[in-house]
Amino acid sequence: MKDNSLFNKLSSRLDELSNLPKLDDEVSISKLIEEKGFSRREFMGWAGAMTSMLMLPASFTPLVAKAAEMADRLPLVWLHMAECTGCSESLLRSATPSIDSLIFDYISLEYHETIMAAAGWQAEQNLEHAIEKYKGRYILMVEGGIPHGQSDYFLTLGAHARTGEEIAVNASEHAAAIFAIGTCSSFGGVQAAAPNPTNATALSNVISKPVINVPGCPPSESNIVGTLLHFILYGTLPALDVYNRPKWAYGLRIHDACERRGRFDAGEFVQQFGDDGAKNGYCLYKVGCKGPYTFNNCSKQKFNQGTSWPVQAGHGCMGCSEPDFWDAMGIVHEPLGNRLYHTAFGGMGSDATADKIGRGILTVTAIGIAAHALISVIKKPKD
Amino acid sequence: MIKLIEKIEGEAKLNFNFKDAKIDFVDIEFMSTRNIENILKGKSAFDALVINPRVCGICGHAHLIATVQALENCYDNLELSNKAKIIRELTLNFELIQNHFKWYYLTMLPLFGQKQQVLKATYPSQLMGKAIALFGGQYPHTSYAIVGGVVCEITEMDIIKLQHYIAQTIKFVEDNLVKIDSENFLTCKDADTLLDYEGDLPDILRQIKKEKLLKYGKSYDRFISFGENSYFKKGKSLQTKVSHNISIEHVKESEIPSSFAKNVSFKDKYYEVGPLARAMVNKTPLIADAHKKYGDSIFSRILARVCEISQLLEHSKKLIKDLDLSEPSYIEPSLDISQLSASGYSAVEAARGTLIHKVEIEDGMIKNYEIITPTQWNLSGGTKDKQGVSQKAMIGLSDIKTAELVFKSFDVCSVCTTH
Repeated sequence: MKDNSLFNKLSSRLDELSNLPKLDDEVSISKLIEEKGFSRREFMGWAGAMTSMLMLPASFTPLVAKAAEMADRLPLVWLHMAECTGCSESLLRSATPSIDSLIFDYISLEYHETIMAAAGWQAEQNLEHAIEKYKGRYILMVEGGIPHGQSDYFLTLGAHARTGEEIAVNASEHAAAIFAIGTCSSFGGVQAAAPNPTNATALSNVISKPVINVPGCPPSESNIVGTLLHFILYGTLPALDVYNRPKWAYGLRIHDACERRGRFDAGEFVQQFGDDGAKNGYCLYKVGCKGPYTFNNCSKQKFNQGTSWPVQAGHGCMGCSEPDFWDAMGIVHEPLGNRLYHTAFGGMGSDATADKIGRGILTVTAIGIAAHALISVIKKPKD
Repeated sequence: MIKLIEKIEGEAKLNFNFKDAKIDFVDIEFMSTRNIENILKGKSAFDALVINPRVCGICGHAHLIATVQALENCYDNLELSNKAKIIRELTLNFELIQNHFKWYYLTMLPLFGQKQQVLKATYPSQLMGKAIALFGGQYPHTSYAIVGGVVCEITEMDIIKLQHYIAQTIKFVEDNLVKIDSENFLTCKDADTLLDYEGDLPDILRQIKKEKLLKYGKSYDRFISFGENSYFKKGKSLQTKVSHNISIEHVKESEIPSSFAKNVSFKDKYYEVGPLARAMVNKTPLIADAHKKYGDSIFSRILARVCEISQLLEHSKKLIKDLDLSEPSYIEPSLDISQLSASGYSAVEAARGTLIHKVEIEDGMIKNYEIITPTQWNLSGGTKDKQGVSQKAMIGLSDIKTAELVFKSFDVCSVCTTH
């Protein structure tokens, strides 16, 4: 018999949401999307893509579409901490002028410094106003690492010269859900690289509430939007891995779904940039690809509306969505090789297979299977 | 004394001092820093290729190109294919273009009392982002440029896509920004004739004239531009006197006690950098005409930045024609980086002006790294006797709203300023 329990659960969640007041009575998201020239068919096509990304069956598409329309019930507060604004940039670049960016523009204008026209005093008032007005309802997304403790003054913001740490703690208190967008806010990011001069740290280290990490430097636009839609649909935290990353996006290694994986399995490697292997799209492991250690869905979602991603361009993964990026992932054009790197699975990664690739295809397969088996044994208790 | 915290990309604090109802002095302070230069020290030299783009998500690509050029400058006889040079120049052009769009539609329009046009900002910048991603794999934060060339092996198919993105962006300009044929716009030599055209740019230029804002925003009328490529020339311009013989040796950084940013001067003087400076050094006829009529005011500054969009789009089309895909993308340097102890520097033109990187390497490890960003030039906080470029432009104004307009006409960005 078909089990409809999840479908029913999500439907009733959306019904509940629809009873909440809208951010703006005049304009609804569906109206906005229509006004911008998107047909219903295009919108449903977008919702279908989102549904599959969230690993839901196609029959859930109408629910995802409805969730997108319900987004205007959940205001979004976006904070900038010590960062480069790259995550917002990634978001601003989601499709052409896309449905995702429309939804974000619509709900996030309460407090988003980069795209907000208001400045200084007014911006600070907007933030306070949003927190007060939508107490307990708003979604908090934080971009950037947070200089912590005695170094907190390295990030001083706003008319009242408050520290970033203070603002983040304050905004998190009444948030319905908290997302750390990007590697900086998830794990500290580049500014936390040795010697970490500003003592920058992850959002989860300065606040006492649960934080869902959406790392990546930058994360793809679809992971940011998907995270939001997931919360609207479920109203609860998604299934998370050991680093609090949503499994629907960070469940697999880059290596697992890499378009050059076949080359790896066949032992075909780029030995040096510009060689014949590079021209033929061989595996980039030996020129420093960190894909075997990095959990993310870049190979499937890609960047800039699916245009490309680093491995497609011939660079190799830089491991930007892992904790301790950059320290754990340097040196850039060299494989991590035999260095024991502490991943979630005790450094197993797929190194065991990569190191022995020269021994011939048969052994590789055997070791590959062994490694897979080992990983699934370790993985189980965490599920 | 009135204080205002200015929203730019990141934050700066402006303290306005009034005397006789006029702005007498403006203190500029940066209150945050990430200290990237210290993080680079002791790391493997090539790691800078991954870390430095992350100095700034807005102009990170300029940081990548500056990094790779500074590292290459450490080598004695490094070979680089023409193809790699062109590809790097193209992606940098695209970054400049998309920045200008966002500045105009997100930052400038609201200052003229218009609604912020998010979609007009995102549509063309998305196209340009895609164009960069074709080569770099992603934007922001690609590291596709490496010492010796680029990693991408592009095909004719990619070129076709690229031409399409450029054509779409040109169409957007012609449909929205300046509603005339791009070629006519580029050959136009008279700034006043622009006022007769339709489009988002002429609208604002007319408004500047109508609201008598033409005289605002004037500073030293002193410009500098160090980044050289097939389009931009290196040089300085004093009023209209251009000299191309300048050296980076004379660029000095100095600390400011109250701020995390450092001052930058050339031969002990503050200079303006950015599209207006580039156009003055390049002697672009349309901008030279605007400058002749309206000086280094907001009119010329806004026009120069928007005009650069069309110039760079056209120039990129030419660059693509020169691209020979059969050339190598990467030529291995003769010396391994681990055997290299040397120092090098680079200067590239980022969206907001000259970006300088200086590096010292010892046995392949970074011993010292210095970054001088464009906004540091324009926002150097001087004293009352020796004001910075943007400070001088704001002095004498009677209200903060106009001061804000003048300040933002420099397209300031504090994210990388305090790096």
